[in-house]
Amino acid sequence: MSTLTIDSSRFGALEVASEDVIEFPNGLIGLGGRRYAIVHAEGAFSWLHSLDDPSLALPVTNPWEFFADYSVEVSDEDSAPISADPADVAVWVTVRAGAELSDFYANLRAPILVADGQGHQIINESADAPVRAPLFPAVAAAA
Amino acid sequence: MLLITRRAGERIMVGDDVIVHIKEIVGNTVRVGIEAPRSTPIYREEIWEAVREENRAAAEAPFSLPAPTTTV
Repeated sequence: MSTLTIDSSRFGALEVASEDVIEFPNGLIGLGGRRYAIVHAEGAFSWLHSLDDPSLALPVTNPWEFFADYSVEVSDEDSAPISADPADVAVWVTVRAGAELSDFYANLRAPILVADGQGHQIINESADAPVRAPLFPAVAAAA
Repeated sequence: MLLITRRAGERIMVGDDVIVHIKEIVGNTVRVGIEAPRSTPIYREEIWEAVREENRAAAEAPFSLPAPTTTV
């Protein structure tokens, strides 16, 4: 099993097994990048870390940890490159992290689908999928 | 920027493999069909812009995330 090591500006040296590398044929929307890996799980959050840019990492989470009713509807065009059975597709959403939990948001509109070592950030056609959904609405309401 | 005047039913080629169909023009709304290779993603500009902004903001996360001790 081969590994590659990246010198992450966030986490220092990180070892990523070659089978954990996720190829993004189209990169992340507006950000690009072709190779990422999910690293450094901390509680509900993990990090989608670029393997080409040591300073590029986005916190991500499993949307169903926070939004039990969340659903992803993919257009035919977006699903075309994803051949895996839907049950085998991992779904992540990016997290906009502020200083306080009341400033944490998830992007439910553009989830990241991962299957067979490939990742695609797609547009969720579901009606109830805001770009910026509060992750801790109870905390936000109390603040 | 190249400006092209088209009527409904006409098309525009972008390179050899992207075809933009002007389907219908009603008032100030245009229905456009786009044929492109599967590897070419197509977005409504405002959604692309919003997601790009969100991706950039996510990438600027604080160095360490506060532990979510008070979950939902």
